[in-house]
Amino acid sequence: MFYPLQRHVAYYHKALLYLLCLLGLAGCATFSEDGGFNEVQKTTQRYIKQTPVWANSNEVKQKSAEQVKALLSPPLNIENVVQIALLNNAQLQADFYSLQLAEADLVQAGRLPNPSFSMLYAKHRGDYTIEQSITMNVMALFTMGKATAIEKKRFEATQNNMVLYVLSMARQTRNAYINALAAKQAVDYLQQVNESAEATYQLAKRMHEGGNWNKLEVGREQGFYMESALALSHAENACIQAEEALTALLGLKHPADFKLPARMMDLPDAEDNLKTVNRADFSKRLDLEQTRLQVEALAKRLGLSKTTRLIDVLEIGPASVLEGRRGDPVKKGLELRFELPLFDWGTAKVKRAEAMYMQRLHQANNQAILAASEVRAQYSQYMTSFNIAQRYRDEVVPLRKSMLQESLLQYNSMLMSPFALMVAAREQVAAVNDYIEALRVFWLAESDLEMALVGSPLDSEGSVL
Amino acid sequence: MMNRRKFLQFAAAGVALSAVDKTLLAGIPEPVMMGNADTQPLLMPNTGRPYQPVATLNGWSLPWRMNKNVKEFHLVAEPVKREIAPGMVANLWGYNGQSPGPTIEVVEGDQVRIFVTNKLPEKTSVHWHGQRLPNGMDGVSGLTQAAIEPGKTYVYEFEARRAGTFMYHPHADEMLQMAMGMMGSWITHPKNMNMHKVDRDYVFLLNAYDIEPGSYLPKTNTMLNFNLWTFNSRAFPGTSPIVAKQGEKVRVRVGNLTMTNHPIHIHGHEFEVTGTDGGWVPKTARWPEVTTDIAVGQMRAIEFVADELGDWAFHCHKSHHTMNAMGHDFPNMLGVSQQGIAKAFSKLVPDYMPMGKTGMSEMSDMAEMMDMPLPENTLPMMAGKGQFGPVEMGGMFTTLKVRKDMAKNDYTDPGHYAFPKGTVAYALDNSEGLPIEHQAAPTAGEKPITEFNVRKPHKMSHD
Repeated sequence: MFYPLQRHVAYYHKALLYLLCLLGLAGCATFSEDGGFNEVQKTTQRYIKQTPVWANSNEVKQKSAEQVKALLSPPLNIENVVQIALLNNAQLQADFYSLQLAEADLVQAGRLPNPSFSMLYAKHRGDYTIEQSITMNVMALFTMGKATAIEKKRFEATQNNMVLYVLSMARQTRNAYINALAAKQAVDYLQQVNESAEATYQLAKRMHEGGNWNKLEVGREQGFYMESALALSHAENACIQAEEALTALLGLKHPADFKLPARMMDLPDAEDNLKTVNRADFSKRLDLEQTRLQVEALAKRLGLSKTTRLIDVLEIGPASVLEGRRGDPVKKGLELRFELPLFDWGTAKVKRAEAMYMQRLHQANNQAILAASEVRAQYSQYMTSFNIAQRYRDEVVPLRKSMLQESLLQYNSMLMSPFALMVAAREQVAAVNDYIEALRVFWLAESDLEMALVGSPLDSEGSVL
Repeated sequence: MMNRRKFLQFAAAGVALSAVDKTLLAGIPEPVMMGNADTQPLLMPNTGRPYQPVATLNGWSLPWRMNKNVKEFHLVAEPVKREIAPGMVANLWGYNGQSPGPTIEVVEGDQVRIFVTNKLPEKTSVHWHGQRLPNGMDGVSGLTQAAIEPGKTYVYEFEARRAGTFMYHPHADEMLQMAMGMMGSWITHPKNMNMHKVDRDYVFLLNAYDIEPGSYLPKTNTMLNFNLWTFNSRAFPGTSPIVAKQGEKVRVRVGNLTMTNHPIHIHGHEFEVTGTDGGWVPKTARWPEVTTDIAVGQMRAIEFVADELGDWAFHCHKSHHTMNAMGHDFPNMLGVSQQGIAKAFSKLVPDYMPMGKTGMSEMSDMAEMMDMPLPENTLPMMAGKGQFGPVEMGGMFTTLKVRKDMAKNDYTDPGHYAFPKGTVAYALDNSEGLPIEHQAAPTAGEKPITEFNVRKPHKMSHD
């Protein structure tokens, strides 16, 4: 399918002109100084106090290391653990490079495609064909502006996702810290219980040795001691596991690199001091914002496909064709290649794009429904766990304390045996431990609620990671 | 004494009385109330036939009014607060402000009319235990009369036919009402004042309550495991003493309305049982005793001459009944050292004190030395302070105090007995040279310890 030569030549000249113009412009798309990270930092701070740092130079690396060291010297707190992770978590540092990758794509989109040279040599019974062509995706020149815009959207999405990674890391670290604290306090509690159980068993043994008690009575106390010793082993193991998880998130080499405080954070005094959630918070969800960007980008692509420009691979370039015998002159002309058939192919592409768009739209809808539900559920979890912890703090623990006090009074008047007194003492300690567990659940709920207001990181297809 | 103010309060707030018809009300004697758990002075009769009144241990006798020839009493059945001993108050049910109710004293042949007003939340009745009376006055609800509904006043009227010691108590929801303390004594004095004449005549009831340490209300469904054993709803050291002048003839009438028997024991004297609920014991049928067992629902009147000066114990001989609330689950820890263990315990319970290694006295010692706190409204298991130290008693325990000079109608506590020099058991002074040492019995394969025998004199000298 060849056009008349004259028209081809006219086209050729125009295209060359256009090409030269674009070559002049090619220098415009370059790498930014911060790699887009400032925007990530800025957005992150809409949600948390801590700042992520991308240690992409020795200078920054050095500074980060010093900061981490300073943060590790006092016992950890929930603010500092997040800051340490944002400075030092290895996965996060790796993730930051996807920003650079995305920016590279963006810059690439703003540059001229590389020309390609091809040559065909064919010989048949003295007839031969030699084709030499330098081809270049000239269409890319026309679409460069649009491609850059799309890559820019992708880059923004990556930035957004990066914020989500950072916030998700903050949450994981907070949660790991809360878990480690609770696990440590559980060990403290079980050590106390175990010590008293051991003493009780020793007393029972003396009772048996003195002839006061039979083996059955001693066995009962021994059994309790065994149980408490085993429970302590379990708790110690759980504590090591929790500390290791925190160590990894903080990017540290060893749990000995940090010190945990003695106690879990106190419960807020009253319900009035709790977080509230409103519509504005919900609309701040980053994953929804990102979906919006993705849908917009897709719509744009869909629009382009309707004008059949971006979807096709249309190459146009200067070609010299030698055809016929060796002495025949080289034919000059344009080589145009289309995938066939154009319109059928185009229609299928459009349909596909529409399907993709509609699918993405429904996915986005589902995502919004899930997000709303998640926020409600997390808010309920947060409030309920507050109420439970508050009940432990204001009712259960004081009750067990007063019951122990009453038990002591009864023991004082020899109404209650020392063994029963120790049971009451253990119940009181258990109530305190239950309170710590309730506190753990509350703080996790708060952390999860914060994340529910931010959203979860998405993959490039828009699925929740 | 009789608390008129209390009565006024009662009359002003008395829902029960206001519910009673005004014309009927005019015919009812004013109820007399009592706000005190001590032994009250004798109620000397100023109307009706003369008699020698009784002293109710930790109680009082109910005044009456003569209406023509009828002695009229007014009993008000109501919730009361009874001090069991200083430091403990029980929420009981009783009559006229106290539990047990007042003693009713009449004379053989008296025509008696008793108004009973029910201020309890449930119906009641009064059974006159041991009396000869018309069947319809016997007070068994349903069987011999309709029960007295709350707010109602019933009238019992009969002749006190037989002289003796009786009791009164409800016969409607009897188990609960008696476990709540509803009971009282009744004395019918002989017409002939010289019959069975004594110088001092005491009466009281035996009662038992199950009140959880730290609480106030008896557990009325308890059948055997009571933790408070009382003389007239009073536990030692809250019990008043029985006092007598040396040489006086003393009668003590004890009625048992608990659910177990009580061997009542006296120190320093012998007595004879001279009467039961059934009447006087013929002289030929009496024998000397120092303890008499009083079965459930029985009354025993014992008599003796208080000829031995001093402070003599008088108590139920069941040793658990001379203890206040105690823990039956407290293990016997005799000989068990808590060294090293107490320290671990006190980590969880900072105020923990090891007790029981040498015995239960440790508790009273500890309580005294350390001011060790006990549950609220709970009497120490053993208490009472004598002139030589802790008495370590509780419950059904009091003292018979015999003195050289006690005024005829003086029933007040004369205080500690002044022991004549050289009449009190004394500690041996070891420094005088008598070695008090236990020689361990040789065990198999061991040589007998012989050092004791070869101890050199210089070892005993003071350095």
